[in-house]
Amino acid sequence: MNAAHARRPHRASPRQCRSRAKSPRPICFQSPTPAEILYPSLPMAGQALQFYSFDAKYVEDLCAGDSQTQEHFVSYFTALLRIKLRSRLQSFHAIEDVCQETFARVLQVLRKDGGLRQPESLGAFVNNVCNHVLFEYYRSSSRSESLDAEGAPEPAATGADVLDIVSARQIKENVLVILMRLSKRDRSLLKAIFLDERDRDEVCQEFGVEREYLRVLLHRAKQEFKVEYVKHIGNQVSLSTDT
Amino acid sequence: MNHSEAVERMTSERYLLNELTPDVRDAFEEHVFDCQECALDLRAGALFVREAKVHLPDVVASDARSGRSKAKGKRTSRFSWWRPAFAVPAFAALLILVGYQNFVTFPALRHSANEPRLAPLATLRSATRGAARPTFTADRTHGVALPVDLVIEPDMAPAASYSFDLRSPQGKLVWTGSLPATAPGADSEQSFSLAIPGGMLESGAYSLTVTSVTAQGGRTPIEQYNFDIVMTN
Repeated sequence: MNAAHARRPHRASPRQCRSRAKSPRPICFQSPTPAEILYPSLPMAGQALQFYSFDAKYVEDLCAGDSQTQEHFVSYFTALLRIKLRSRLQSFHAIEDVCQETFARVLQVLRKDGGLRQPESLGAFVNNVCNHVLFEYYRSSSRSESLDAEGAPEPAATGADVLDIVSARQIKENVLVILMRLSKRDRSLLKAIFLDERDRDEVCQEFGVEREYLRVLLHRAKQEFKVEYVKHIGNQVSLSTDT
Repeated sequence: MNHSEAVERMTSERYLLNELTPDVRDAFEEHVFDCQECALDLRAGALFVREAKVHLPDVVASDARSGRSKAKGKRTSRFSWWRPAFAVPAFAALLILVGYQNFVTFPALRHSANEPRLAPLATLRSATRGAARPTFTADRTHGVALPVDLVIEPDMAPAASYSFDLRSPQGKLVWTGSLPATAPGADSEQSFSLAIPGGMLESGAYSLTVTSVTAQGGRTPIEQYNFDIVMTN
């Protein structure tokens, strides 16, 4: 029984999944993937949403080159790193460079004997490495001009299969549905904040709302979207769709 | 930062709205990389914002277009009552009303105000002196005229005026009026005539209270007259 087979998620009730939360094995939360909805006859198409617990086994499999673990590691932390770096770097290429450098350094440390003393803090370790890489990037970019086109749009994702495309389209439609359920005022408010990037206080004053109203508005929309998003994330779509 | 703090303070939303100070932002990021629930939450929020930015320009533009067409519709409906289908009957009704008032109502009122009137005469007796309650017959056209004889007691303070209060069978004050008193030293009786138009009368028991009002404003009830009215029409 190889490592990949052992890692294949199996159907379990949510109660069983929760009871396994403390074990070192992956915590399973299964919902039908878009593939399973569209092609029910296909056996286990797509992956189930997994809350992996970062433990010694996980790190071991990662270092051993287990494809499933590596795929999860890269997709999981790439999403978070991009969100983190978007608020700090303008250029898409710079973001990707920092991401790649972070992964390279993390894996380099993990592969050393006793590299990561506390596997449970893998997430924090990745974040710290990213902070260091970012600091070095700032230093180096202040000395030389970046050749990257700042503000250039992200290149389109390639290699997406039909299931990825369908899932991405469902995500877009779901966001549109959620937006259309909002009032016109709320839509204009979101546009002013996120698209026009106007000053928050100025926008709140103009619309006659408090800052808390903005947060609650975003929270509710996000919660509604999360229901669809959880289904989507079971099918690991191209990263540009996720983040 | 722990998980419950992150959730209670809506830190994920604050992060997406770029409201966090650098320290709190770093602390939240450190937590997110460790907490898979918050990581999922942040990823969902970031993707929502990203996709919303794609849709919002078209959606808001469409809102603006529909808002303009609704305003136009509202303007149209606001002036819809100027349309001939509505305006002509409305003006016609108004014309009829004005014509009726000018040719019927006002002449009748002028006529009744400028011509002498006949009314049955009845004598009121003071209830305070134990007189029996009289009954008067009246009709709507003529009403009733009531001569009122006030007896002035010698020890009464001289009145500057007399106030009259007429109460209906329901006890409601339906009319009040006043007249200046005659000069002091005159007769001990003062006579008035109270003409009540038929239009305000109904069958039932009425009472008329007379109050003496001094120059200083002091009020003293001096007489009460109780009578019954029987309407013939």
